[in-house]
Amino acid sequence: MRSRRPRRRLSNAGLGLVALAVAIIVASATLAPVAFAAPTPQASAWANIERTARGQTVSLWMWGGDPQGNAYVDNVLTAAAAKLGVTLARVPIADTKDALNRVLAEHQAGRTDGSVDLIWVNGDNFRTGVQAGIWKCGWADALPNIAYTAPGDPLLASDFGTPVRGCESPWHKAQFTFAYNAARVANPPTTMPALMTWVREHPGRFTYPAPPDFTGSVFMREALYATSGGYANVPASFTQSAYDRLTPALWTTLKRLRPALWRAGQTYPKDSTQLDQLFASGQVDFTMTYGPATLTALVAKGTFPRTTKVLTLKEGTVGNASFLAIPTTSAHFAAAQVVANLALSPEQQAIKADPRAWGQFTVLDVKHLPPAQAQAFANLPKSNVVPTYPVLARHANPELSASWIPKLDDGWRRQVLTGGE
Amino acid sequence: MKRFVLLILPAAVPTALVLGAAVTMGVAQSMGLTPVAGGPQSSLDAYSAVASSGELAPAVVISLSIALVATAIAIAVGFTTALAMTTTRFGSKVLKGLAISTIPIPHVIGAAAIGLLLADSGWLARLFGSTAGNWPQFVAGPWWAATIIEYAWKESAFIALVVAATLSRDADELAKTAAVLGAGPAARMRYVTMPLATPALILAGTLSFVYALGSFEVPWLLGRAYPEPLPVLAYRLFTSTDLEVRPQAFAVSMVTMAIALVIGVSALRLFRRQVVTA
Repeated sequence: MRSRRPRRRLSNAGLGLVALAVAIIVASATLAPVAFAAPTPQASAWANIERTARGQTVSLWMWGGDPQGNAYVDNVLTAAAAKLGVTLARVPIADTKDALNRVLAEHQAGRTDGSVDLIWVNGDNFRTGVQAGIWKCGWADALPNIAYTAPGDPLLASDFGTPVRGCESPWHKAQFTFAYNAARVANPPTTMPALMTWVREHPGRFTYPAPPDFTGSVFMREALYATSGGYANVPASFTQSAYDRLTPALWTTLKRLRPALWRAGQTYPKDSTQLDQLFASGQVDFTMTYGPATLTALVAKGTFPRTTKVLTLKEGTVGNASFLAIPTTSAHFAAAQVVANLALSPEQQAIKADPRAWGQFTVLDVKHLPPAQAQAFANLPKSNVVPTYPVLARHANPELSASWIPKLDDGWRRQVLTGGE
Repeated sequence: MKRFVLLILPAAVPTALVLGAAVTMGVAQSMGLTPVAGGPQSSLDAYSAVASSGELAPAVVISLSIALVATAIAIAVGFTTALAMTTTRFGSKVLKGLAISTIPIPHVIGAAAIGLLLADSGWLARLFGSTAGNWPQFVAGPWWAATIIEYAWKESAFIALVVAATLSRDADELAKTAAVLGAGPAARMRYVTMPLATPALILAGTLSFVYALGSFEVPWLLGRAYPEPLPVLAYRLFTSTDLEVRPQAFAVSMVTMAIALVIGVSALRLFRRQVVTA
């Protein structure tokens, strides 16, 4: 008998909640058409979202290692969001995994007023979130500005092999790029194997960030494509047999490279920021980035030598897109959608593509934009350092599926970092 | 005795609650009881996985070595500074001010500053006009020099203040009395100063040792990619995108805690013996 009382009380509370929900749904269904003479149901739904969003604060958690990106969000995007009544607060993090971890912890604790409303994310972090069920889904396809992207764009439909399914909204396209100091590298290599040869002939002048760092991990995938004879030979989704067949050559190559790296491969930069510092202070002659458009400003400011040039490889490099995702723990779903939609607008995408602002490549289909908006992209300044996105992406290689990445990162630790000869 | 217990309750109860909750969660997560995905399953798999991965043993060795060397330097420097503080005018003014101003600097700021000072392209390297390749590898080097220097610098100030506080009350007077009775400087050090300072040295030294063992940011900023100290290893496992690795992160943290407990308990026994014999 003792156990019955609380149960009954619970069901009473449950009934009350259901009744309340029914009342709200009925009320909103009857009120909405009166309040808004909207042309389409989608537009009225969006108007509702924009109205709910007003007065909310969105915490955007993003990698804070790029001062230009921080400045763009703080000065441009935040101001535009304020016009829509949304306060945008940027939370800088050292690695996107930090935001993911925060959400996972809050998800475990059952919080619904979490500290993260929006995350700049892609690849294995997105996939991990999908596995843990921490993303709100289906909303990104309903954003009004998604109409400006190319329908069926493969980079936007799947994120490192994980179907996007409206769980994140596209923000940038990126192309992995090597940069070198032309004053020190007279005859730059033009293929990945030639780059490896150059490294062995110039001991101490090259290194890469230690995976699982994002940039170091991409470098390793580039090397895997090279040692496998091209990306076509590496199956996009992970299988143990493909791993066993293809990785021995990769580990052998990277181990042979090791003695010729900076500090004789005894240690590695922790992240791309440290590698950039080594490049800026002249300790190495190459750096690498997944955001090449930022190179223009780094050279203009004098951080990087004036002789910095982008290395275009004959076989191409990997390209991807990055996104904004909303965790289920967010209490500001509407405002987060408004910010994601704003970030996707042609105006913001054009400002963001300007190397003086940030220099991130657009996810929009510029060819099919209305003329006024297409003009903003045509007016973007030309760079002496970085070729245009179509040139960089000419032989773009697809990314491997996210399930490869932890396996490769782990293999690198075992075989290259701690392994013997 | 009763009043003493009452007085520490306001500090002890919240500490015990927070610590208890954290340790319970840590143990639960390390045993796979609160997985992010899938159902809970009690096992020691995480412990055996991390032990057999070959990463745990080097992590224990490197963490203990860093903490030991850094604490030894901090004790030597801190004790000397404390003596200067209590016996000279210069020490009591300038050194005490320096030590006090060091305490509020967070370790992460200290580590960043040491990095800017000692890195290959850092301030000192530029001051000495060192070209790439011939500057000693303090940061990310094989001897963990920058990490040890950071801990030694911060903790020596802490030890100096704690020891100076215990010495300041009676050491001077007792030493003078001993001198009147014919004790030379060596005898005064051995029979007066050392017995007074040793309990404080043991306590402060243990605190800084345990801190250096469990702190993440300093070796992460100033250390190298391999081997990883325990907290860096735990953090990397914790932030892995492979969710099944997370229990291992907590297993590493629990191992770190166990080591710290053993050291803490043995230090306390040593401390009791010192106090009794003194």
